[in-house]
Parts: sequence; structure tokens; C-alpha cells
Amino acid sequence: MATAAGYAAEMRRIDEDIAKTEAAAFSDLADPDRITRHVYRLYQKASISGHLAALTAVERAIDDALPLLSNPADLYLLKAHTAFKLHKLADVHAALLAVPSVYDSEEGRLIRADLDFQHGHYQAAESGYVDVLGHERSWGALARLAYLRGKMGDVAGADRLYEEAEDQLTAKEMRAYAWLEVQRGFLDFAHGQHDAARLHYRRADAAYPGYWLIDEHIAELLGAEGRYDEAIVIYQRIAATFGRPDLEQAIGELYDLAGRDRPAVYWKERALSAYLQSVQRGEVHYYHHLVDYYADAAEDGADAVKWASKDLQMRENFATQAALAWAFYRDGRIGDAVHWIDRALASDVVDALLYFRAGEIYSAAGHEIEGRNFRERALNLNPTVAGFHVHH
Amino acid sequence: MADHNDPNAVNSIFSDIDVSAADLYDIFGFPVDDRSGVEKVVIALTFAAVPQTGVFDTDMLYRILIAPDRRIARSGGDDTSLAGFLTYLEGVKEKYLKILRPSEVRVTVDHNNRANLRFIGFPGGSFSASIATNEVSSVQSPGGHSINVFVGGRDDAFFNDLPGFFRSINYAPQFYHVPHTMPDVRELKIPKTFLELEGNDLFNYDPQFPQWGHGMKKELPAGPLTWNGNRFKKDQNGNFRFVYSGQDARAGQNCHAIILELPLTFLTATSDEHRIVNTWGESWVLKAAHKVETIPDDPLWIEHPHVLLDALNLDEELKKYKLVDTDGQAFADAALSEREDNRQLGANNFWLAPHFIKRLGHLGWGFGPSITALGLACAFDHDNSPVSVHRTYSSVLEAFPRVSKILFQELNMPDDSWDRKGLAIPLRRAVDVFIPNVNSIDMDTTGTWPFGRRLEDQVATRFLSTFLDMSASLNGKRYHVELLNDPALWNSAPIEPKTPPNPLKNDKEFLADFPYLAEPW
Repeated sequence: MATAAGYAAEMRRIDEDIAKTEAAAFSDLADPDRITRHVYRLYQKASISGHLAALTAVERAIDDALPLLSNPADLYLLKAHTAFKLHKLADVHAALLAVPSVYDSEEGRLIRADLDFQHGHYQAAESGYVDVLGHERSWGALARLAYLRGKMGDVAGADRLYEEAEDQLTAKEMRAYAWLEVQRGFLDFAHGQHDAARLHYRRADAAYPGYWLIDEHIAELLGAEGRYDEAIVIYQRIAATFGRPDLEQAIGELYDLAGRDRPAVYWKERALSAYLQSVQRGEVHYYHHLVDYYADAAEDGADAVKWASKDLQMRENFATQAALAWAFYRDGRIGDAVHWIDRALASDVVDALLYFRAGEIYSAAGHEIEGRNFRERALNLNPTVAGFHVHH
Repeated sequence: MADHNDPNAVNSIFSDIDVSAADLYDIFGFPVDDRSGVEKVVIALTFAAVPQTGVFDTDMLYRILIAPDRRIARSGGDDTSLAGFLTYLEGVKEKYLKILRPSEVRVTVDHNNRANLRFIGFPGGSFSASIATNEVSSVQSPGGHSINVFVGGRDDAFFNDLPGFFRSINYAPQFYHVPHTMPDVRELKIPKTFLELEGNDLFNYDPQFPQWGHGMKKELPAGPLTWNGNRFKKDQNGNFRFVYSGQDARAGQNCHAIILELPLTFLTATSDEHRIVNTWGESWVLKAAHKVETIPDDPLWIEHPHVLLDALNLDEELKKYKLVDTDGQAFADAALSEREDNRQLGANNFWLAPHFIKRLGHLGWGFGPSITALGLACAFDHDNSPVSVHRTYSSVLEAFPRVSKILFQELNMPDDSWDRKGLAIPLRRAVDVFIPNVNSIDMDTTGTWPFGRRLEDQVATRFLSTFLDMSASLNGKRYHVELLNDPALWNSAPIEPKTPPNPLKNDKEFLADFPYLAEPW
């Protein structure tokens, strides 16, 4: 009986292509196609596997390859994507500007809209996505708009867009299809619809078996349902492949919830150590996880504020504003917490966790009615909002 | 809370999606030569041999659509005005949207490499058959018709100097590594031409890189991708340089083929009246959502058995697929539709007619002067331009007068051998050939192009002949569709290399009997 080829098979093919293109890629008779393909495959391997440390190596490979091509537009596009994943938003913009054809390309325009979103310019982001969709309804553009619309409270509309994105895909694009199913599942999860979320995750797994991203979301679902041991097993399996301090933190939090202090401390300390080593290497992509860690795992408000401020300096949007607010709350600086949660709320984002934290902050500020209202709104959106969740 | 999402976590930024199994190559069609028994027609749809010769992509669905029809009787006073053209289009539209009800053969190949065929809507009956691939099979219709079928790997029957064609239209991706961020860099704004343009270093033959364009590509240079010259290139002997080489770019290459040999009485209940068999091919790829449903052991599949083929809901089957490619008339895509995804309309290409007129005008300004420079008469009025011109049209009204002769002139045949029965069959015109985009096989002819397409027809060169003035003569004989295939013409022309543009025959001999296409390499 035939089954979907899946993650492992695809990673093997990518590895084979990397080996095949490696020898010729940087020889004297440099072939631009092979160079681009080689670097692209390195990017794909790191990106699909979620191996953020490997993306740093990809950055270097791109920089090494750029001088070898007289028309390196594709490499600059890769550079923009890589920088985005590493949260180096200034580098994203610089890469887009390096070659006019990159800046003006559809992919370039989508990345610019993504930057708008990250910088809290939601209208501009929406316009950017809609503008590109006016030319071609690509699945990637549809998915981006779906995410934005979902954040703004149009859940049904977001799901329809995700579904339309799926309809664009052929049987040759099962990884993309699985990813979209995960997004649809997460949309349900974020609204407490666990059974619906599970169905989407199962469908994703049927489409593209062995994909860690699916497993990660299933583990989150299990954790939210109180099935801590099952969730821990999955997270440990994923984290064992390569360093995933965010998952190690999740394992620690699950042990906490299960009432097992010693393994909880062990895993949380592992996570913290990895975050801080990353920062020492000059990386910035774990700042938001450090905020999360200090605010909720360690309940260290001062350090939470420190990292939240750094993250916000890179990109000010509802998420970083709300994170800073929550950090101030943990640090007992309620006035500042109210200020920043108000800024996050002004985005008009509809998010259960945002409302839940707003409720806590407002109550702490002595505004009981507003606090209660926010909590109610949060629970109406997602009855399980206070339960286990992962910072994605 | 999640603060960003990233479809590019999974996006193939540079499309590495293998869609080539959907890449249709050709559709051949001709009456079977042996007329002693039942009258039969051969239809062969060829496409990329992916994942490998003889092994098929199980996500694909191929359709061969067949619509028999009466031969159009043309009056002597055809209206060749724009109004007449529009009337012709209306007639085609009416016929294909309302009157003709094409039958079809659908083909998929399963994981055991068995081909599953569905014969749908034929007067001779609808039925299904499962056959082994890569071997000749015979299936029986409910009406007792015997149909020969082959689904498998073959030598590619297309013999053509594709790099030469791409050179003639200054098509950058054939010669350069074009970054994905430059999707508009395709046909550069340089005049189309059969003769090299002096100073067109972006495309002229480079003796230092003889394989350039034949698999080898250069880096796209910075700077303007244009040409500012004003003459054709000539060598020290005063010869033009041909953009074509006459070499077969498909030599030694394989294809996949669906080959059918069908009794005419299976296709139509009135074979005495329906002497034309119109046919075209389509490739469809399974949508991702339905791939999940077809994965065995997926509980969703079991919960939704309607995904199994239901003979009463065949359109439901097609909804699970995405149309990728169509094939009807040779070079309708490459030359006229410009390979755009949104122009894969198959027989319904009458919607593209305005584009065709403008495109033909654009090609005429390019090819026309190079035809004239060789001393040949051209059907396109290019105001005696001494060199090819890059001109485009935004208006059909503006383009139509220039192209009307090309559209409506009768395409002379080299002799009468095509007209087997000596019937008064009207010669075809370019407008008949390209709109609609189908292979229109005349059963009372040999099926040689444009009355069908036989395997041995050099259709690429015959396509070029549509730009010749068919009312002109050479050595006392009217121009005809085979003129440019004649080595004698090129031997006496002021050109190098002295060769017909495309090879004269396939790299392998075709078979005398079914399945006709040669064994694969």
C-alpha cells in the first residue's frame, strides 16, 4: 500500500542534492545554477527542519556565494528569507534593497508586507498581501493574509483563506499542504476547539508523515488537555534531533504542571542555558523566548523586562508590546504594564491570551470591572486560554 | 502568543516542484494507412518521461478529448475582413461550447504501474479497462469495437531544433540563468528573426561556446537586455547567419505516450458524415487535498468513500485535479500562446483570438523581413523593412490588416498525395489550423499536417511556412508548406549553415505498425 512520502524522504532528497551540488558549486568553473541550488538546498534543509542554528551557517554560505555570481538576485532573496527567520529584520530590508528585481518581485513584496506586520503596520501589511493577490492567488500570499485576518478576529475568513490556499496546491506540494493544515488546526486550538484542531493535525500527518512541526502541535494539544507525559515524550523526541531550547522549556513547564519539580528544573535550566549561549553568539531569535522564560517559567520580572525591551526594539507589534506589558506586570510595575497592554490592545488584534493578560494587568491596576471583562472575553474566545501553550 | 507565521518555513522559494510529468509534448493524429479493414484513426499524446521512462507519475491524469465533426465547406467568397474573422470565431465558439460534445479517454497509472483507462461518452459505448504499461494491448468496447492501446515509454517522436526556435524569438531562459525574481525576462525586446542580427551578442551564435543554448547557459548580463542595431549579420562572403542549426535537440530522448488506434465507428455514429476527428490533450495533476483522501489507511479516506470513482459523477473526479497543460496544434503554445499558464485553454482558445492576432502581428514584424531578406515572398506586409523589427500591438484593429493574409491564405501542399481520394477538400488556412487549438484530422486525407499530424511531419518548419506568401512561386511552382524543408532551397540561399531549419527526420525510424512510435532509448 502506498503512503505519502513525507518528511524523512524529502530530507533525504535534499541531502542528496546538497552532496551532488557541493563539488561543483564552488569550483573554478562556477555554475550559477548549481551555486544557487546548493545554497538553496542548505537553506531548505535548515528551514524545513526548524534548525535555527543551521540557518546561521546558511547566512555565511550565502555571503560566500554572492561574489561568485554576476546576477545574484536569487541569493539576495534567500538572504532576506534567512534573516527573517533569524529575526534580523534590518538585514531583511537590506537584502531586499540590494537588487531592484528582488525588491519589486512578488516574493519581495510579500516579505515587505511581512515586515510591515512585524513592525505593527497592519493596514500596510494587509494592503501588501491583497496587492500581490490581485496578481496571483499564490498559496503563500493567501496563507499570510489568512494569518493576519485570523489575528484581527476574522477566524472564519482566515480559515476560508487557508482552505483556498490548500486548493492551490497539487500532490507535489504535500509539505505545504500539511503546513496549512497545521495552521488551520492551530487556529482551532487557539479558540479552544481541540477536536477540530486534532482533525487538522491528523490530516497534516496523513499528508506529510514524520513532520516534527505536526508532532510539536500535537504535543501542545496533549499538554493543553492535561496529557503531560504523552506531550513530554513527543517534545523530547523532537528536541533530541538538534537543539530546541524552546521545546526544552516546554518540557520543563509540562513537568511543572505534572508536579515533578526536579525534571522541571533540569529542562528549564537547559533551555535557559541554550538561550543565553545563542545571545552570546550575537543571535537575536531567542529574545522572545527569553521574555517568556523569565516572565512565566522563572517569574523574574526584571530580566523579563530587559529581554522584552530588546525584542521590542527590533520590532514593535502587538506581540512584543503585550510581552513587555506582561514583563512589567511580573516586575510589579503595573502602571507600565497598563501602558503597554493598552498599546497592544490598540492594534485591534483579537487574541485570547492578549485579553487574558490584559485582564490580569487591569485587575492588578485596580480596574476590576475592566479586568473581569477582559478575562471574560478571553475565555469566550478560548476556554482553555489559561492552560498549557507554547510560544511559537 | 504566536507573533508571526511563516509559510516560507515550507515554501519552495525557487520552485523545485517537479511538474514535468504534466508537461505535454505533442499530439499526433492521422488515419491508419491500411484502409483494407475497418477505418481507424491513430491518436498519440506524448509527454515527459517522468519519473523515468516507462514509469509513470501516479498523481497525474491525462485526457484525450475527441470530437468528430463534419468537414467545413467553405464558399469561394470567404469574408477575410475583421468582421469575417469575428464571425468565424463565433462559429467556433458556438460549436465547441454548445454543439460538440467531446468524448474522452482518461488515463491514470496506479502504484503497480498499471494504466487505468476510461472511455467516456463515445457512441460506441463507455467503458473502463486496466492494462499493463509498456506493452501493446487491445480492449473491446461494449459495442464490440477493437481498440489498440499503448501507454508507456517511447522514443520522443519530436525532431526539432528547439534552441534554434528559442534563438529566433530571443528567449532568455534557454540561453541564460534567469533569476527567479525576474519572471518577466522571457522573450527579450529584440526583434524575432530567422537571421542573426548584427551585434545581437545576447543571442548570436558564439563559436567559443558551441553548446550555448543546448543545455549550457550563460549568466544573465547586467545592463539593458536590448538590441540597437539596424541590419542582419553577414559573414565575409555576404551570407546571413541562420538562427537555426538543423540539429535534432530531441535526439536520443524519450517520452511517455498514450497511443490509441480507434475505429471511426467507435467515435461517431455517422462516420460517413463526420470525416473530421478533432482531438486535443490535457494533463491534470491531483490536488493536494485529494492526495490525502487517496492515501490508503488514512481514516479520512475510509470515512469518505465517495472519493472512489463514481461513474455517475465523473466531473467530481476532475474537481480533484488541477489542469496544467493542454496540447492541440503544434506550436500553438510555444509560438502563439507564449507558454503562459493562464492561456492553457485547449480547444477553447477562441477566447485568445485577440491575443493571437496581436501576437501574429508581432511575429510578422520579426520573421517577415528575414524571409524577404532571403529572397522569399512573405505574407506579412512589413513595409519592405530591411531588417526585423520589434513591434507590438495593443489593438486588434491595428494588427489585423497586417496579418489577414497570413490568417486567410490557403496553405498549399507540395503535391496531391495528401488527398487520397481526390476529393475537393479545401486547403486549410492558418486561421483554421490554430483556432481552435486542436489537431483536426481529416479522415479522407493521409493526415499529414495541417490535415492532422503524422509522425514524420516536420511541423515546426511547416509552421514557419505559414509566413510565406502562398501565392508566390519558386521555379514555377507555388510556395507550399514543405518549401522550407527542402535542402535545395537552403543550398542556394545566401545563408550559413545551409540547412533546413529543423531536421528532416526523426533520430529513430518509426514503426510500420501500432504503436508506431519507436522503442525508447
